Amino acid sequence: MVSVINTVDTSHEDMIHDAQMDYYGTRLATCSSDRSVKIFDVRNGGQILIADLRGHEGPVWQVAWAHPMYGNILASCSYDRKVIIWKEENGTWEKTYEYTGHDSSVNSVCWAPHDYGLILACGSSDGAISLLSYTGDGQWEVKKISNAHTIGCNAVSWAPAVVPGSLIEQPSGQKPNYIKRFASGGCDNLVKIWKEEDGQWKEEQKLEAHSDWVRDVAWAPSIGLPTSTIASCSQDGRVFIWTCDDASGNSWSPKLLHKFNDVVWHVSWSITANILAVSGGDNKVTLWKESVDGLWACISDVNKGQGGVSAVTEGQQNEQ
Amino acid sequence: MKLKEVDRTAMQAWSPAGQHPIYLATGTSAQQLDATFSTSASLEIFELDLSDPSLDMKSCATFSSSHRYHKLIWGPHSMTAGERVSGVLIAGGENGNVILYDPARIIAGDTEVIIAQKDKHTGPVRALDVNMFQTNLVASGANESEIYIWDLNNFATPMTPGVKTQPLEDISCIAWNRQVQHILASASPSGRATVWDLRKNEPIIKVSDHNNRMHCSGLAWHPDVATQMVLASEDDRLPVIQMWDLRFASSPLRVLESHTRGILAIAWSMADSELLLSCGKDAKILCSNPNTGEVLYELPTNTQWCFDIQWCPRNPAVLSAASFDGRISVYSIMGGSMDGLRQKQVDQLSSSFGNLDPFGTGQPLPPLQLPQQTAPQSVVLPLKKPPKWIRRPVGASFSFGGKLVTFENAKPQQQPGIEQQRHHVYVSQVVTEKEFLARSNQLQEAVQSEGFISYCQKKIDMAQADFEKNVWAFLKVNFEEDSRAKYLELLGYRKDDLRNKITSALNKEGRADGELGERVKDNKQETEDLGSAKKTFNISVSGDVDGLITQALLTGNFESAVDLCLHDNRMADAIILAIAGGQELLSRTQEKYFVKMQSKITRLITAVVTKNWKEIVQSCDLQNWREALAAVLTYARPDEFAALCDLLGNRLESEGDSLLQTQACLCYICAGNVEKLVACWTKAQDGNSPLSLQDLIEKVVILRKAVQLTQAVDPNAVGALLAEKMSQYANLLAAQGSIAAALTFLPASTNQPNIVLLRDRLCRAQGELPARQEAVKALYDRQPMPKGRAGTVAGQMQGPQAPAQQYYQQVRIAPTVTTWSNKTPTALPSHPPAGCPSDTQGDNPPPPGFIVPGAVNPSAPQPAMYSQAGARPAYPQTYQATQQYSFGTGGPALYQPQQPLSAPASAPYPNPATNTTPPYLPSAPAHPAPTPLYPGQPQPSPTGPNPASSFPLPPSGASFQHGRPGLPATSVAYALPTGPTGTLPAASDLPASQRTGPQNGWNDPPALNRAAKKKKVPDNFMPPVPITSPIMTPLADPQSQMQQAPAPPAGAPSFQAPQLPMGQPALQGPYPPAPQPLGPCIVPPAASKPSTEGAPGAPIGNAIQHVQALPTEKITKKPIPEEHLILKTTFEALIQRCLLSASDPQTKRKLDDANKRLECLYDKLREQTLSPTIISGLHNMVKSIETRNYVEGLNIHTHIVSTSNFSETSAFMPVLKVVLTQANKLGV
Repeated sequence: MVSVINTVDTSHEDMIHDAQMDYYGTRLATCSSDRSVKIFDVRNGGQILIADLRGHEGPVWQVAWAHPMYGNILASCSYDRKVIIWKEENGTWEKTYEYTGHDSSVNSVCWAPHDYGLILACGSSDGAISLLSYTGDGQWEVKKISNAHTIGCNAVSWAPAVVPGSLIEQPSGQKPNYIKRFASGGCDNLVKIWKEEDGQWKEEQKLEAHSDWVRDVAWAPSIGLPTSTIASCSQDGRVFIWTCDDASGNSWSPKLLHKFNDVVWHVSWSITANILAVSGGDNKVTLWKESVDGLWACISDVNKGQGGVSAVTEGQQNEQ
Repeated sequence: MKLKEVDRTAMQAWSPAGQHPIYLATGTSAQQLDATFSTSASLEIFELDLSDPSLDMKSCATFSSSHRYHKLIWGPHSMTAGERVSGVLIAGGENGNVILYDPARIIAGDTEVIIAQKDKHTGPVRALDVNMFQTNLVASGANESEIYIWDLNNFATPMTPGVKTQPLEDISCIAWNRQVQHILASASPSGRATVWDLRKNEPIIKVSDHNNRMHCSGLAWHPDVATQMVLASEDDRLPVIQMWDLRFASSPLRVLESHTRGILAIAWSMADSELLLSCGKDAKILCSNPNTGEVLYELPTNTQWCFDIQWCPRNPAVLSAASFDGRISVYSIMGGSMDGLRQKQVDQLSSSFGNLDPFGTGQPLPPLQLPQQTAPQSVVLPLKKPPKWIRRPVGASFSFGGKLVTFENAKPQQQPGIEQQRHHVYVSQVVTEKEFLARSNQLQEAVQSEGFISYCQKKIDMAQADFEKNVWAFLKVNFEEDSRAKYLELLGYRKDDLRNKITSALNKEGRADGELGERVKDNKQETEDLGSAKKTFNISVSGDVDGLITQALLTGNFESAVDLCLHDNRMADAIILAIAGGQELLSRTQEKYFVKMQSKITRLITAVVTKNWKEIVQSCDLQNWREALAAVLTYARPDEFAALCDLLGNRLESEGDSLLQTQACLCYICAGNVEKLVACWTKAQDGNSPLSLQDLIEKVVILRKAVQLTQAVDPNAVGALLAEKMSQYANLLAAQGSIAAALTFLPASTNQPNIVLLRDRLCRAQGELPARQEAVKALYDRQPMPKGRAGTVAGQMQGPQAPAQQYYQQVRIAPTVTTWSNKTPTALPSHPPAGCPSDTQGDNPPPPGFIVPGAVNPSAPQPAMYSQAGARPAYPQTYQATQQYSFGTGGPALYQPQQPLSAPASAPYPNPATNTTPPYLPSAPAHPAPTPLYPGQPQPSPTGPNPASSFPLPPSGASFQHGRPGLPATSVAYALPTGPTGTLPAASDLPASQRTGPQNGWNDPPALNRAAKKKKVPDNFMPPVPITSPIMTPLADPQSQMQQAPAPPAGAPSFQAPQLPMGQPALQGPYPPAPQPLGPCIVPPAASKPSTEGAPGAPIGNAIQHVQALPTEKITKKPIPEEHLILKTTFEALIQRCLLSASDPQTKRKLDDANKRLECLYDKLREQTLSPTIISGLHNMVKSIETRNYVEGLNIHTHIVSTSNFSETSAFMPVLKVVLTQANKLGV
């Protein structure tokens, strides 16, 4: 069910904190405590190092690929309080913008749906969330939500671009009237939903269920249904699935997916939004799927399938 | 940065890690007085509410206590058991007492909050610690070397860890080991520390420094390493933290000398063993890594000395510090901005001091003279090193194609340097829908091997539900011979059965008659009598009805005779007479008959006679849909068959109950209406599960294949809904990692943006660089681009096709694609057709025949007939050929078979008026073809069943428009340019959305070699003969003119001859060219296959499996008229010159592009579609170019643009301007 098709030796010199494929699934970006960001071409099961990006002065927590319509763009955030946007120009990756507006570790970066333009949300341990919008000519406009999460924001995730009130394509030519939203999770144990109104970001919802730091939030891709879904995971070992059926986006209800014995670090939705990959709870990756009756069931323990680092070592020992 | 503060002079304890929300307990500190000199004491509990941005701590409860405290700890004892939901608060008092409180009760406001209390110690209890492993064990230390181990479950009698150490001294600190549960350490101000083993009940090691200046104020075990601990010294002469390892206990492992004065308290983070807090009399709070000695962080305090400091067990970034100025502050070590908080703090400070005049001296107390930081930074930086708890060790993220990227780092416990850890990232394929994939594979195999029948059979065998079986049976019939008969069988009408039944029914009657043999005999006798009587009969002219009839007959007045018969209810007489009276009279009589007769089956008979099946379909009881469908299957002509099935389906869907609604699917299958099937099926099936989608796609794919085999239909016609479903399906396949499969299922010919984008993504995911970059780019370009794209956008507004053009060029050279077939429009669907009338991007006109009926105009609602018409645009040639008839002669109808069809390739374009002509009027085909403009060049017929807007459904059922393929529907939908030359609209004038072509994929047009495999043209097709034909034959006399197969009776009133315009070849796609394009059209008049089984008027056998292929010539470009060739050569030469002297790549690109884009000008020259004014203007321009007077050229350009029709010139004039401007600039 889950089979390793490629093992990439990143040669990072310290812990890896994030690994993300690009839009097409052909390139892999990784980042590490060794302060570097690396990009690999992983087509056909290979690995070719394309770029080793140096510029951060602390561990790099996350990387995020922009939609390819804007070119090859990667954002990274680090404990050094910086967000760096890297761009490939004529085959070379270079730093194109550096944002230093945070006072503490920047823990999460996430690109808005491409429909909105090039907008990056950044969540920081200083409690603030920054929104960087590209305005052309190398200029970025910054909006900042101060004190979004006390002691820190750990994760940001954008809602898919859905035009309110209609799932049908807008009459051609018109610019659809999107409502921009994103979710964030923080050390105040909250998941918050932010909504742009008249160019200002406002807190729309405060979702309370976790009893400890919210480590990650992931807004599920739209599958054409009016339901919005968010997954959140926490230090408290719990993973919640939040759903909202009404169009106004006001009534969110949580459903406990599972309570793990340890920190849950990361949640990620499949492109079709029906599988959730949960990382953590004793350093494992598990896959979850909602059954017809609405219950979430673990469908796979990735560690068993792929053999984590330890299992691989064992396997090698067995071979010898 | 500071988060909260409380003005208390108090000891503090955080609630245990398991407690939520987080509380902070404070107990009035012993041996300290604040400025009020109050001696009262209290125990308070505050909640740490981080969602509240203010500095205030939320007070939850206050308990007025009789004790003041030296030490306060909060243990999780009994929390999990549920007995004490918030654990136990343990306090060390002034008088040797250890008190247990229940914090839950304090919070509840209970008065009985003390669980237990013992004052066994001598002197104040300064040291307390809870065992991490057995939380019921609490160690306490007091004066005279007293250490007790309390069991909270049995609080009465404490234990001792062993014999008291000598000399007796105060115990200032006590701590349980963090790794080994029976090890305890104690320390005293003398500087000595003792480690106790509780199993042995004795001290096992003593640790003390050689210089006697250590004055232990703090003791902490290493959170991870069992043998290590730190001791902090309060002595100003030795303000150090010593790190000891018991494996080498003779001297400290490391000494941290970061403080300048004595250290008052330390706290080691349980969440990260590299974080040790210490606070001292130098008024600093430092966070150091005790493993390296490095100071990681200095908390920005503007406060006094802190005497107590604590990590919050639950929130690892939070700590609290109690200072001598009577305040407990809560900090985060993660840094942040305190701009918002600082002002408030200053205000509070001054106001609290303002009130400080406890003695009423009128003099406020001076602030404590303690070192104070001035101007605290507004920005608080975080730790130098990221704390362990924010270092994500594991992760898994999905990516496109069902891939999962995972990484994990072994728990970072191992010492650095032991083994270099490998840092791997794994890419895994996640497959969750095995059945879905398996079924998808089967489907693909079936499509590839064309084993449709066996596939359907398999499906029938496997189907659980009857309905499912039925659907597959219907689908299967599509691939079989004699499909209509098979359909009938499926509906329960077996011809053999029926004959047997009838025979038996007749026999029964016969037997019944036999019993009355006598009677029969009599009857016979009578008949004979009658027969003999005939010999001489009497013509009565009497006054009764008989007489009147006789008279009427005698005078040849059939009409009156018939009326009389009808009046007298002598129906048979009336009808027989009417037959003699001529066609007209007969129809009238029939009508009257039907009006009079009202038996149950009259309407059926009516329909059979008048061939008005629409009536049946429209008005039958829906419960009888099977019968209606059967009738349609039996009688309907091929050209109306699909429409009728559709109509029935529509009714079932719109009027029927849920059961009937699903049955509509069967009608749509008969009709071959893929799009409707999708809509109906989708409505009936709930659930978005992959398997239900698979169910649908299986049917659709098979039905489309069937339709392709049986009808000359553009195989790539994909309606909006189907396209949507197909792309969903492709998405699902992609999500399961079957990217190649997803590509094959993705509709090739739609221009829906989501599909174009998905295709691009799939191609790239496979590692290919798709040829459609530009198309995709064009799509994205619609999006708000943040980049400085003004130029591009402006360009787009002028000609949205510009990027597409580039794309076409690329595709054309792709070797695997059939010519033309890949001309998928990259048009921006968001531009309505009206928006791009001038789309003349030098593209060759699309091949005739690539008409996308369904998908073309997603914005226009598709009427029922529309897509259906598109699905079957071509009706059998033979049929059409023989159905040309005209009413020109006075007779009922005279056939003029295949008269005008000799020069079809020259494509006279039919009079647009044809579209609106009532169906009976002979039109275009009968007219002599207009002189072809370019003989030998097939003119593309820009056609396609036109969108509904231009073609309202005729009210009469007789005039289904779908029998008129090839009509330039666009002539209505898109006004023809009516230039003086009256040329055809260049096909490129069509909105690009109509120019669609297939891509490689399962739904490609059949490859050339596959054409042969198609079903044979039923060249002997006989149209359904109306039931009246035998009677009619003597009157109508078509035979004399009919060279061909027995023609249907001319008189069939509802019969609309499909008017085959010469553009007919347009309907055929990439079929092999034939020298004589219409050759197959003129089919030798083979004798009609005797239809022994068929009902009169029923089509024979394969009736609906018709011809499709009229060969079409491959389009070759016409030459540019000689007199205009100079335009091309001049422009090209100019561009070449510019290219040679242009230096920067951007200009070169622009010129290259211009060169390509001028192709459309040349096309227009070839087609001669340009008005004389423009042509002459262009010639003038060329002249000025020859003299290198580009400015003049530009002036001419401006003149042309300003005087000509924008749509005519917009495709190339801007390009010319660019070229001229460049030429001028470069001075070539």
